[in-house]
Amino acid sequence: MAVGIEAMNLYGGSMFVDVRSIFEGRGLDLDRFDNLMMVRKAMVLPCEDPVTNAVNAAKPILDRLSEEEKNSIELLITATESGIDFGKSLSTYVHEYLGLSRHCRLFEVKQACYGGTAAFQMAANFVASQASPGAKALVIATDVSRTTERMSYAEPSQGEGAVAMLVSDRPQLFELDFGANGLYSYEVFDTCRPRPDVELGDPDLSLLSYLECLENTYRNYTEKVEGADFLETFDYLAFHTPFAGMVKGAHRKMMRQLYKMGGREIEADFQKRVAPSLKYCEEVGNVYAATVYFALSGLIDHAPIDEEMRIGIFSYGSGCSSEFFSGVVSPEAKKALSRMRIKEQLDARYSLSFEEYDKLIDMNKEWTFGIQDKAVDLSGCQTMYDHAMAGKRRLILKQIKDFHREYVWS
Amino acid sequence: MTEEKVFEIVKESIGEILFDLDLSLVQPQHSLKELGANSIDRMEITVRAMEMLSLKIPLVEFGKVSNIQGLVDILLTQKKAAG
Repeated sequence: MAVGIEAMNLYGGSMFVDVRSIFEGRGLDLDRFDNLMMVRKAMVLPCEDPVTNAVNAAKPILDRLSEEEKNSIELLITATESGIDFGKSLSTYVHEYLGLSRHCRLFEVKQACYGGTAAFQMAANFVASQASPGAKALVIATDVSRTTERMSYAEPSQGEGAVAMLVSDRPQLFELDFGANGLYSYEVFDTCRPRPDVELGDPDLSLLSYLECLENTYRNYTEKVEGADFLETFDYLAFHTPFAGMVKGAHRKMMRQLYKMGGREIEADFQKRVAPSLKYCEEVGNVYAATVYFALSGLIDHAPIDEEMRIGIFSYGSGCSSEFFSGVVSPEAKKALSRMRIKEQLDARYSLSFEEYDKLIDMNKEWTFGIQDKAVDLSGCQTMYDHAMAGKRRLILKQIKDFHREYVWS
Repeated sequence: MTEEKVFEIVKESIGEILFDLDLSLVQPQHSLKELGANSIDRMEITVRAMEMLSLKIPLVEFGKVSNIQGLVDILLTQKKAAG
């Protein structure tokens, strides 16, 4: 049976700052700006958190479903490395504000930037198992990056936002090649969030581990899929994108290693098969667990798809767990995704000056893990709120009262 | 395989990636970063040196390397172990 993504939507923050202005404002080496290949970094307001990002990504999908379809969602998995409670998963809040059926499983998964794929694969397996024929699953990967601000070269590339995917037996957006999964995982200490206020990383080690995993997941994939060929099998590729330059380097390494290709040939292949996947990633930054699906969405919205085409996807999460898998998209997928008007939504974000951005970092920093009582005060960012949120019927955090989060619609 | 030979191979792979660089100035104590290699360049230099030596070492083994000497040491040790 067919299984995969029926509908998908992104939330790329309510604001953005130009990456170049961060380089200039912080006095970073502009030589490294080109290497990064990032244009904008997504930001959120103090009234936004991983719950609102998740709901604001998923709501446009839910709004298009009939009551009957909505009630057929029997599984909601959130994936995040920005958890808000050790016990209560943020899926419980998401479930409430999306108005989903009570006959639904709710839980959260975590494995750094691989979390979104972990959740997606589990959801696809639930649908394929036919344990509940016709049931759908909602998968939401959501993250914030408040802990990486002013962290030197990690700062310009870390974004925030969410991706929501409706997984079902009607995969008009992306039909999974079921069982075609190349896996590779081992313990490595490359990046982590050891405390709620600390995000650590060894960028060199993480880059090496990512490449190690790409090579080995792909090799494992070829062991399972007879005749698979990196160049011939996949019309397009979408990789986890910590920064766009990283994906370019990873693609170059694979093409050199597998086909001994020269620079010019590799560049042509990159432009054709990979570059479209970077369009949204360049506009948002690394959205951790959600990033690889920003790449997939960018690809579907920007690449020519005039017949059924196969996409190879590489997902990596520090620590580490990784997977190379594939699926098929058709012209129908382009039509379905275009209804979400993702580019329009990204362009409608508030454009922050570097000074506003720097101020926003301090305002967001107040919202640490474990707050018992606090109301959101928007007086310092009213203009931004009015532009980006007011009247848009987006979910926003109103206050935390005795640890319980209370949300309202903007 | 001698240390000098491995150093020459590493220098050759540096030359392939950082083609503007005057290789006669490259010393073992230099870090690739100070020679102008970004993180992707550093990975490619390492991969090319491994290929030239017909070695297959997990990339994460190079995570703690801080200068060219460190890179040479790992490659030499592995080359000797491989016979």
